[in-house]
Amino acid sequence: MNGKTSLVAAGAAIVRRNKRYIVWFYLLNLAFAHFGATAFSDAAHGILGHSLYADKLLHGFSLGVFLEMLVRPEFGTLPSATHPAMMFAVVFFLASLMFMPGVLLGYASDHPLPRDEFYRACGRNVWRFVRLFLFFSVIAGIVAGILFGGLNALVSAADKTSNERLPFFTQLVGTVIILVVLTVIRMWFDVAQTDAVLRDQPAVSKSIVAGFRKVRRNFGRLLGSYLVIAIVAVAVLMAGILLWYAIVPPSSVLGAFIIGQATMLLLLAMRFWQRATAVAFYVREMTEPVAEETRPIPGFASPLVS
Amino acid sequence: MVVGLRVGVCLLAALSVTAFAQTDGAAGLAIPATTLAINSATPLSQRVVAYDMDAKYNAKTHSLDATETLTYHNLTGQALDTFPFHLYLNGFQPTSTWIREGKRWNSYGPDLGTWDVKSYGAEEIKSFEVVGQGDFTSQLQFIHPDDENKDDRTVVQVHLSKPIPPDGYVQFKIKFHDQFPETLARTGWNRNSILGGQWFPKVGVWWHGAWNCHQFHYDTEFFADFGVYDVKLTVPQYEVIGASGIEVGSVNNADGTKTVTYHGDDIHDFAWTASPHYLIYNDTFQGSMGPVKLRILMQPAHWGQAERHARIAKETMEHFDRWYGPYPYKTLTIVDPEPGSEAGGMEYPTFITGGTTWYMPKGVLLVEDVVEHEFGHQYWYGMVATNEFEDAWMDEGINQYTQIKIMNSIFGASTSIINMWGITAGQVDEARFGLEAVADLDPIAKNGWQYADSNSYGGITYFKTALSLLTLEGVIGEDTMRRAMHTYFMRYRFTHPTKEDFLKTIEEVSGQDLRWYFNQAIYGTQVLDYEVLKITSAPVDWYKENLSEKKGETEYVSNVWVHRKGEFVIPIDVEVKFDNGDRVREHWDGQDRWVRYAYQKKAKVESVEVDPDHKVYLDRNNFNNSRTAEPNGDPARKLANYWTCIIQFFAQFLAWWLV
Repeated sequence: MNGKTSLVAAGAAIVRRNKRYIVWFYLLNLAFAHFGATAFSDAAHGILGHSLYADKLLHGFSLGVFLEMLVRPEFGTLPSATHPAMMFAVVFFLASLMFMPGVLLGYASDHPLPRDEFYRACGRNVWRFVRLFLFFSVIAGIVAGILFGGLNALVSAADKTSNERLPFFTQLVGTVIILVVLTVIRMWFDVAQTDAVLRDQPAVSKSIVAGFRKVRRNFGRLLGSYLVIAIVAVAVLMAGILLWYAIVPPSSVLGAFIIGQATMLLLLAMRFWQRATAVAFYVREMTEPVAEETRPIPGFASPLVS
Repeated sequence: MVVGLRVGVCLLAALSVTAFAQTDGAAGLAIPATTLAINSATPLSQRVVAYDMDAKYNAKTHSLDATETLTYHNLTGQALDTFPFHLYLNGFQPTSTWIREGKRWNSYGPDLGTWDVKSYGAEEIKSFEVVGQGDFTSQLQFIHPDDENKDDRTVVQVHLSKPIPPDGYVQFKIKFHDQFPETLARTGWNRNSILGGQWFPKVGVWWHGAWNCHQFHYDTEFFADFGVYDVKLTVPQYEVIGASGIEVGSVNNADGTKTVTYHGDDIHDFAWTASPHYLIYNDTFQGSMGPVKLRILMQPAHWGQAERHARIAKETMEHFDRWYGPYPYKTLTIVDPEPGSEAGGMEYPTFITGGTTWYMPKGVLLVEDVVEHEFGHQYWYGMVATNEFEDAWMDEGINQYTQIKIMNSIFGASTSIINMWGITAGQVDEARFGLEAVADLDPIAKNGWQYADSNSYGGITYFKTALSLLTLEGVIGEDTMRRAMHTYFMRYRFTHPTKEDFLKTIEEVSGQDLRWYFNQAIYGTQVLDYEVLKITSAPVDWYKENLSEKKGETEYVSNVWVHRKGEFVIPIDVEVKFDNGDRVREHWDGQDRWVRYAYQKKAKVESVEVDPDHKVYLDRNNFNNSRTAEPNGDPARKLANYWTCIIQFFAQFLAWWLV
């Protein structure tokens, strides 16, 4: 790892070296989503499977026919389709929480992490990550609550004017600002998580403090890196949707699947890119002389930088 | 120069009143026979009323003080000593029937969970004089013809000391004060704009031997007699005004206000709007009775959509002119109301409100949808002035039907609401979806305030009516249906027809007895649902050992069952398709609950479809109208693929932020 390369590039290099994590997480993501979609799929097939009317959904997308399908009693209630989806989304979140320590350790390592080390890191850090999640939730929740409350007040005030665009743009700009603020908090906790794993830090409060200090010292650089990747993620999503619309014929189930899944895979990679950037940042911080005492990082057989 | 012209026009109007008015010899009263606002040399309606009003609007308090001189011509054929008046704005009070029904139904519209003083509206009569009989202010009585709500003050009645003889005239001089609510039911203020609808004391309609003057209900609309309106509106000079009828004068006053005068012929209501923000887009439609001036009042942020409003208005007018009959008025004012207000999507004579947003994509045809719909009301309400309290379907439903016909004609049947990014939706889709949840709750023919709830009112009056008339086209033919609609319009314009007038016109033009259909579709609550129940195909030689089936050679016995699931009986076609490409059409009268068709061919049944020409729009479930012998998993897979991606995205989003 060259200390002079940008964090974004360093993060990209880590992701490139450790593609298997993304693949596994993607497969988890797809499998859970598939389970979540089973109830919907079965109900839809029950209505559409033998009907010529379903052609309006296959050779195009008739919103009217789709809504008509949703309100058929045999489709069941909407929650019967959405609840499994939400449940499996939460399961994916829990899986991410559980396996992310191994990923962070792997990202910090210059060689492929043995499977036992990966799982050991996951096991050692799972409770720390749960606690970090709780801290994050409280802090992000309070900040988001205050900011969204303020934004709502601003939008209400804007709504009283005769400028119709003002409430919309107030909402838009306000939401972007809040997302940036939340990104800062996320960034802080990403570094704290990295600290907890790489320093094998049992006291998560120390990792939170360490993360806060490191982020504060390198705020612009780190935030810039995160925002660049977030913008790339938005671009990936837009490009995926555009491609889906432009090149996939309405009746091509396979084509839609390939484009859709490629987009999901790339989107997932974006978040891993951010995590790798945080690890690259953390490792550079560790190798640069700093005033505070640092503990040796377990599990490293070779120098931290390559 | 402009002011001089206007004065001249006013003089002409006054002269025409003198020349053609029907007068009451004793009192010198008359209903003006003016034709200033119509492309006709003679009046088009039997004019019953003449309203002459002078209103001053206070933009700060959203209130109005006005004098109203109402001349009434007694054409009832009997002496009248009682006159009821609507005071619609009193509906916006906590104990009114309108509010009580709104809270009871609570299915759409304003949030009536808690009382907001901004919702308060009032229409207070300050003085009430009957010319020649004296002051009756103290003798006015609130009545409640529809319910027991003694707190409802939306209908007031006066008993005269001397009855008005048949063909006689009576004149009322009324002073009243209006307090407008923040927009409710398409009237009131929002920010610094105002839409003045149902704002003046309006006399009821003598209809079928009795006064018809219902209370203001949450879902019902209005009913009034045709006549002449002369209205002076005084507002701050910075306001841009639009109103029913034509503008005949405008004077700036010394106190910073201006008085704009409007005149309307052969109309039965008068609405107006004022806002400092309106930008005016002018256009002209050349109708078969003469030019119609389109005056479109746009919000500044929507200015780019003005041409879109004008285009759909003209295309709609052209279709109505060609299919149903001419639009005789000289003006049509289209108002793009204050964003976020509840003033959008409303019809008044020669005056309609639309509704859009600054970001409305071209592929979402909501602008076109609402302008077409509200213009349609110029015919089905404006001219064919049905009783909207008792026969809401005859304006909203018939109008929804003509809307579907015209929007589909202009934009295509499957893309007449949405056509964007590969997503499509048509007018029929909207109607079918709107009807689905309430299909068997109420019959179409029912008083508007007696539906199960607002959803049923909307689903039945708008959508069931429209789908019933579309289905009727399949029975009598599209051309016949169009001729029937044309006949109905031409025969009953400027009158108050009943439901039977409409239904009998269709029977007369089609030359068919359609009671069997009307009794189910209009008067009944039967649900229409046919399904292909089952398909079987088995080799004739099924019993032979080592039977090998060969396409085109093996002979099969096939059976097809079609089932009438609903109670609505209508003859239908059934198309059976075989795997060698052969198609067989059957016709079933639908009288029994089911029918079985059997075939012996060297082909298996591939699919069966009920109503293969897709003419039975009322069928509640289109999915079971057809059945294929072999399942096709692709449609469900496609949707499951979408849903999977959405779940993946949601899961990633969750993990992105929380881990």
